[in-house]
Amino acid sequence: MTAASAPVRARPRPVTRGPGRSAARLLLLELRHSPMPWLLPLVAALFWATTYRKVMALPPQWYPRAGTMQIGALLAFASPVIGAAAWTAARDRRRHTGHLVAVTARPRWTRLLAPWAATTCWALAGYLACVAVVYGQTAGQATGGGPLWWPVIVGAASLPAFAALGFAAGTLLPGRLTAPLAAIAIFFVLALSTELIVGSRSYWSVSPIVAYPWDNGPNAGVATFYPYLPDLSIAHVLFLAGLTAAVLGALGLSPDAGGRWLRRAAAASTAAGLLAAGTATVLAGTGRMDAHGMIAIPALHDAASDRPLRYTPVCRQAPVPVCLNPAYAEYLPAVAGALRPVLSEIAGLPGAPARISQAAATYQQGTGNEVGIFLAGRVLAGQPPVYRLLLPDQFDGPQLTTAELAAQVRSSTGPGILASVVGDPAGSAAQQAVLAALITAARCPAPGGDCPVPFADPRQTTRGTGPRRGGARRAGSPEPGPTLDIPAVRPGTPAYAAARRFATLPAPARHAWLVRHLAALRAGQITLRQLP
Amino acid sequence: MNVEITGLTRRFGKTMAVAGVDLHAGPGVFGLLGPNGAGKTSLLRMMATAVPPTSGRLRLLGHDPGRYGPRREIRRRLGYLPQSLGYYPGFTVAEFVEYFALLKELPTAKIPAAVAAATERVGLDGQARARLRTLSGGMLRRAGIAQAIVNEPDLLLLDEPTAGLDPEQRVAFRALLRDLGQRATVVVSTHLVEDVAAACTQVAVMDRGKVVYLGTPDELTARGQGHDVGDAPLERGYSAILAAARS
Repeated sequence: MTAASAPVRARPRPVTRGPGRSAARLLLLELRHSPMPWLLPLVAALFWATTYRKVMALPPQWYPRAGTMQIGALLAFASPVIGAAAWTAARDRRRHTGHLVAVTARPRWTRLLAPWAATTCWALAGYLACVAVVYGQTAGQATGGGPLWWPVIVGAASLPAFAALGFAAGTLLPGRLTAPLAAIAIFFVLALSTELIVGSRSYWSVSPIVAYPWDNGPNAGVATFYPYLPDLSIAHVLFLAGLTAAVLGALGLSPDAGGRWLRRAAAASTAAGLLAAGTATVLAGTGRMDAHGMIAIPALHDAASDRPLRYTPVCRQAPVPVCLNPAYAEYLPAVAGALRPVLSEIAGLPGAPARISQAAATYQQGTGNEVGIFLAGRVLAGQPPVYRLLLPDQFDGPQLTTAELAAQVRSSTGPGILASVVGDPAGSAAQQAVLAALITAARCPAPGGDCPVPFADPRQTTRGTGPRRGGARRAGSPEPGPTLDIPAVRPGTPAYAAARRFATLPAPARHAWLVRHLAALRAGQITLRQLP
Repeated sequence: MNVEITGLTRRFGKTMAVAGVDLHAGPGVFGLLGPNGAGKTSLLRMMATAVPPTSGRLRLLGHDPGRYGPRREIRRRLGYLPQSLGYYPGFTVAEFVEYFALLKELPTAKIPAAVAAATERVGLDGQARARLRTLSGGMLRRAGIAQAIVNEPDLLLLDEPTAGLDPEQRVAFRALLRDLGQRATVVVSTHLVEDVAAACTQVAVMDRGKVVYLGTPDELTARGQGHDVGDAPLERGYSAILAAARS
């Protein structure tokens, strides 16, 4: 049957000019109506509560702050971004607009990309604002080094991937519960992914919330003396870019997603994404913690990164110069003040250190999750000798206030410095007595004070030179420095009496005697009776 | 012919929603009448390229919608208003219409003028900045019509377009239909025979998936002479056709 027989009036095909402008306009509309900006205050509050306060409590150094921020920001952003993306993707099902948009000319795949891009843009804006606050404040506080951008890039690369995952979930399962379930799921996936990491070599290191060797933590000593190693970050970015491309590509594989070429492009995107993500996972699995405390991936490693950074130390006379890496400049007055009594005892003595200088730590993966942190090289090095110290911040462990750090330096490094002058602390009785006397004279006499009390408890030993904090694990020490044990002088022994006697001498007299007899004392040729 | 349908069927499970429809339509307003479940909406959805036919031949605007490229070309020149209009409550009227203009791949430079023209034609130019969630049912329907006509379609498919419109709006809408029908093929599925009488140049009556009548509204009215079911002459014709088809 024929209803009407009027001829079809020919109409020129509309030409779409400026597809970029059209896409931009579509993105602008989606930006205006994305749920993501409504979630940004929640994300900001989460970031403040879980990350900002934690980061700002860390020393004002780039490595620990950048790494902690990377992890915290990802955890703060992941759930809201995935939830918002899933909610947006399920919009047409929720609003019953599926039929309406399905019969439009724009390919489904390119139509889906607009709200995904809008969610990503908002998330990136929020993330970069958080980064700006943390980095802005750190820039004002840090005294050495410069901003580390790789952790920021990893965080930024994570957001499109999270949005893509959420979008895929919302597109494939467009229910009202999809968004909250996806948000909860990603949190657990991220949090649990680190549970499977044992040692520094793990495929799970590809998880973007692994910002550093997982067992070493945000160690302030890392990336201070040696350049930041971007190896793991590069693997992360490769993985996240691959994941994004694969997930978004997969959305374009369905027959109604677009034309043949578009679906081929989607298939190519999926394949390339899977390849990139797989490659990144394999690369991350070949990583190992290097001697400088960072993850090195052989295939991505640049040998130039193994060269130490050049820097001009900051020094203070105390009365021997105490020099620190400029990144630790804020500690210098406290450290110099803590060592001043010790250094006053030994300044000018033959063989005494001409300078106390902060050194780089060296890191070694132990069995399981153990990490050894040592002083690299000898404690005393060079001529005139330089005493090389590690600050407590260079070890793993709880955060210290400046006063706590200075107290640890005095109690651990102080005896070490004195021992390095007097000689083997387990040597002759006279050496032990002189060392105990000097430790006491260096304002560490009272029980409960900052310094250990070599006279008080016969069972007690004094640890010298290498500070050690809770959580730090050491596999051993190649040199006599870091884990130096100084035996206590037992009360009632001749050594005890001699030490008491020597400690009560006026400082000039003690110093003059040491100038004359230090060489003999170190050689073990002085007896207790010969002590003044 | 803008619409060429031959032996078209559509099955949903065991239900034959459209059972062998033949239809050809050029420019003008084409009314689809029929009781609930007659297959009007299914036919319209096939013509809108929303669902593929189970069998039969369908050509729209000179193209085969079974292939992606031609289907996309059809969609560029298609306007569709579904029976149940979904919408995004946060969008303004102008944004909603613009969104569909973008999805229909209108040239970007022409979009602002096209959006303004479409909202004006449905009498929503004063509410262009109003959010859809604040509109009444009738206004929402008009916003739906605006998105359907924003690309000046050559084939406009309207499923129950006057549902929810007040009498004044309905009169204005019929005038709009007549105007659009000057240039394009407008297919209107409706329960309201007065819409058909006022605006349509051709009318088809569907029952149980089949076209049981095809002709002009005047001819349909003539079929109702001597039939006493229905208030208006056209209603009596419609009832007579259905009664004849079922007998």
